[in-house]
Amino acid sequence: MCKYCTIVPHDVLVRLSKDHSFSAGVRQGLEKTAALDSEIRKLREQARKVTRVGLSNAPIGLAAQLPGPPNVVVYDCHHTQTLPGAPVVNPGSSGDPTAKAAFTVTTDLVRFYSQIFNRNSIDGAGMTLISSIHYGSKYNNAFWNGTQMTYGDGDGQIFVDFTRGNDVVGHENTHGVTQYTLQLVYANEPGGLNESLSDVFGSMFRQWQASQAVNQADWLIGKDIMGPAATAKGYICLRDMANPAAPHCLAPQPTHYTQYQPGMDPHYSSGIPNLAFYSAAMAIGGNSWAKAGQIWYKAMTGYGPSPNLKMGAFADRTRKVAGQLYAGNAAVINAVDQAWKKVGL
Amino acid sequence: MDKLDVERLGGFAGFGGPSARIRSRGVCAMSDLSAKDRSSVEDLLAQKVKSAPNPDEFVYRITKRTANATSTVEVPESMVPQALKNCVKDELL
Ligand SMILES: [Zn+2]
Repeated sequence: MCKYCTIVPHDVLVRLSKDHSFSAGVRQGLEKTAALDSEIRKLREQARKVTRVGLSNAPIGLAAQLPGPPNVVVYDCHHTQTLPGAPVVNPGSSGDPTAKAAFTVTTDLVRFYSQIFNRNSIDGAGMTLISSIHYGSKYNNAFWNGTQMTYGDGDGQIFVDFTRGNDVVGHENTHGVTQYTLQLVYANEPGGLNESLSDVFGSMFRQWQASQAVNQADWLIGKDIMGPAATAKGYICLRDMANPAAPHCLAPQPTHYTQYQPGMDPHYSSGIPNLAFYSAAMAIGGNSWAKAGQIWYKAMTGYGPSPNLKMGAFADRTRKVAGQLYAGNAAVINAVDQAWKKVGL
Repeated sequence: MDKLDVERLGGFAGFGGPSARIRSRGVCAMSDLSAKDRSSVEDLLAQKVKSAPNPDEFVYRITKRTANATSTVEVPESMVPQALKNCVKDELL
């Protein structure tokens, strides 16, 4: 559950509302905002519960029939850190390449999830996809804040505009999908799984856009957002799903579960399940989204919320799903099993 | 003079990870902060709890060093005063 979806944290609002260096009017306003913030938080959680119950009780196929494709909207933060920023009118034909990229790549991602996984938007029910661009000044990050995507411009040295990476767009939106499905907590093993699922679907989307088979893909994460200072030092990506420990990564990762330790940053431990997906997809061959992707998607979306899911339990789910989806196809079932065994799971 | 060591961690790029070649660090003096920011920092340090960030949200590790003691807290970026965010600098190793 997102605890910090709003810009000013609830406890800060409460504290400020009691700060007598502010006038009574200002304090009253802050108190109201804190109360409203708390109510909005409850409403948001309620909406998620209703969505979950509604989808689980709906007749098969109804969710897919009801809403049309989601709206894709873009906001411009104009280099502030205030979300969502100002709406961009007609972002698809904007003269600002960042606005255009945020719109067109997200729109294509909607098609990817719809055509390949029969999923209608992040929540599976046509939720509007909000992307805010030009967040902060020379901001070297992109993130999902519980309700929307946010992209920085990069500092132009280490990183360039984060919307240039279609895998970045796929990664951030997939954090939303995880929030509406497995609801993995963002720490320890479920945190590493959460990060890995975003890399897996981000990389698959990148391959799908390029119509690449698994042996044509580069399996790199963040290749298109690397800035000149990073590439000059020989760093070609953030992470490499095929070789997570490679020295050409800006953030090399572990490759085996024996290296895992509690408390690791999810962006580090995700190397273990990333390598498992790569190995399974390569052993199966063809397009990553055709079989390996279907197995990972069902393991992600077919079991309801599992906030504390560990890597081994997820591995076993993919083994089980492989047997269900591809019964009798020993090559696929064996590829998934061996891929996890390779990383010690 | 009381000093704050500030390190920005995580984010999409995984800043400051065990093998990461990218870090973001800085030092600032408590005396350089406004009274409001000093109070916010003291409140954060008093929490002593590790809060989970949103996915890919930066985490700030703030360590206060005085003559007698040090105290550290890790908090999501959304809780950190702008003056502290401004004191870190991204660097390649
Ligand atoms: Zn992420």
